[in-house]
Amino acid sequence: MIFPYRFRAALLLTFVALQLGCGDKSTPSTASTTPATATTGGKKKIAFITNGVDPFWNTAVAGVRAAEKEFDIECSVLMPPKGLIDQKRMLESLLARGIDGIAISPVDAKNQVALIDEAAGRCPVITHDSDAPLSKRLCFVGMENYKAGRAAGLLVKEAIPNGGKVMLFVGRLEQLNSQQRRQGVIDELLDRPQQTSDKINFDVAGKVLSGTKYTILDTRTDNFDYARAKANAQDAMASHADLACMVGLFAYNAPHCLEAAKEAGRLGKIKIVSFDEAAPVLQGIIDGHVHGTISQQPYLYGYHSVRLLKSLVNGDKSVLPPNGFLEVPIVEVRQKNAQAFWADLKKMQEIGK
Amino acid sequence: MKKTLGIFGLFLAVFISTALINPRFVSVYNLENLIRWISLFGIISIGVSFVIITGGIDLSIGSLIGMTGSLTAWLLTQRGWSVSTTLLTVLAVSLFVGMAHGLLITKLRLQPFVVTLCGLLLYRGIARYITDDQSQGFGNTQENLRLLAIGKVAIGSKFSIPIPFFILMGIAMVASLILNRTIWGRYLFALGRNETAAHYSGINTDVMKIAAYMTCSLLAGIGGILFSLDLNSIQPSGLGEFYELYAIAAAVLGGCSLRGGEGTVLGVIIGTAVMRVLYNAINILSIPTHLEFAIIGAVILAGVVTDELAKRYATNRRAIREQLGDNPLNKSQ
Repeated sequence: MIFPYRFRAALLLTFVALQLGCGDKSTPSTASTTPATATTGGKKKIAFITNGVDPFWNTAVAGVRAAEKEFDIECSVLMPPKGLIDQKRMLESLLARGIDGIAISPVDAKNQVALIDEAAGRCPVITHDSDAPLSKRLCFVGMENYKAGRAAGLLVKEAIPNGGKVMLFVGRLEQLNSQQRRQGVIDELLDRPQQTSDKINFDVAGKVLSGTKYTILDTRTDNFDYARAKANAQDAMASHADLACMVGLFAYNAPHCLEAAKEAGRLGKIKIVSFDEAAPVLQGIIDGHVHGTISQQPYLYGYHSVRLLKSLVNGDKSVLPPNGFLEVPIVEVRQKNAQAFWADLKKMQEIGK
Repeated sequence: MKKTLGIFGLFLAVFISTALINPRFVSVYNLENLIRWISLFGIISIGVSFVIITGGIDLSIGSLIGMTGSLTAWLLTQRGWSVSTTLLTVLAVSLFVGMAHGLLITKLRLQPFVVTLCGLLLYRGIARYITDDQSQGFGNTQENLRLLAIGKVAIGSKFSIPIPFFILMGIAMVASLILNRTIWGRYLFALGRNETAAHYSGINTDVMKIAAYMTCSLLAGIGGILFSLDLNSIQPSGLGEFYELYAIAAAVLGGCSLRGGEGTVLGVIIGTAVMRVLYNAINILSIPTHLEFAIIGAVILAGVVTDELAKRYATNRRAIREQLGDNPLNKSQ
């Protein structure tokens, strides 16, 4: 049966319209996706760009919203679902339409320098969460990832004081923050001297690193495929019967380690150390299945980014911290402070939604 | 059957060599994990093989997995729906999606590539919109339902078979029966080989195509439910991404021709197994993860090339033998 031409055309148009409609609606938190036009009616407009979509960023957005009200400025939040490509597209759209200031978490510190510099040529740009030190960004708001890595290393030492084999898991190793975190954990476990964040020697991935008590088997990446993240944890347990500890360097890694350990009946036997504050991790800490996690306090990333940009777009550079680095202190979450930490976090995440 | 021998040989080669290098590859724990992953990916690969047999393609599988997986978690945990209503709704949505694909391809004569490519974007967008782009999960709830994905059935005292394997076997048997023992199966193959001829010989090719797309989407929906139950942490923007390529690759490796008209369920399962064993072997052998795509690509390519050369060699030998047999001089000797 062949439908009349008009009917076919109408059906096609409906399909296309549906697709376009949903495409627009599909990114509500990217609200983002309707980039601000620069200064209208006297109110400056700035943008807060993340490096992906994750509950971690909801907490940061809560900080953005709080600062928006406090400093009377309008901030769009953009969450690129596909990392680098979407981030570039979003940033270019912002620049094309006009924006007064940008806070960005670069996906690739080295190779996005030109893009960040292009933006910095048009408006004040700061980085948050992950830095691009070679770019012309005015300042970096975040924790010292290397230092946080060392703190996570200390948590591992607490969890397995007699030493043992450790496997690291991360989404991707291209990002400077994941490289620095990883190196911090390695240096701490191998009792190496402290390195300075601006000049870190990185160990090559794929090599077994052994110290007196601890052996770092490898760093497995999953490219943000959650099934792969879980399979990596399972495979680590399968190939190393004596694996003592799994460290998740990104927020979603430890929850998958936890799932894998649970299914293998090794909860509590294999220690887990995490970064960030995913709900299963906090529950795991309360239940005693995860030793601890390092929180970056993302709320403050959002808050300080907006606070700094507000002054910068008004031409006030006195707010810039020395060395261009505003350090947000980390919080170590263990069983004793997990309940209170989680209660505060839930309140913040609700605001950020 | 002969078509799957080559890929089965590749499977055995990877399996045995990995086991020899690291015996922990054949540990009970690893084999159980491997069977679970093969089962989950096998289900979606069987689905796409139906479409490939008709000469079509479905690029929306990964996004449909993302949408159905997110919907499952969202309806159960955020909306408080019952398990039965949720599962029925998700499966109905999957069937509807498949029917829409089929109708657009047969009645509007749109290219399957275009229709399912739009679907790829559409379903991912819907998943993100419905869930407000928030990660979904079951937390400590739905423990019984989750057994569908993470449960095991003990076989003897040491070994257990993951439940998804039984689901895969059930689906594989039904699919195999349909393809090999029913008239609809013959219609599907006939349609894939020559659609015009099939149409003029009285086969309702439109209905068969729609049925193939509905089967594919239904199995992607089942896959989405199982992946969400297995992972317990679902990112609407990421779940199932590129899985259509894994499914298509497994189907083609298993003997399905992208030109249509060829393919076996057993072959598709073996094709899936090759892919998963390779991923697993890379981890077990501690090969750096950034090399995994290169290794998987190289091994599969080497396997397919060897298989093709072996087939050509066999065909040539047969031709020479037949020639010699037909030669009257040889007969007289």
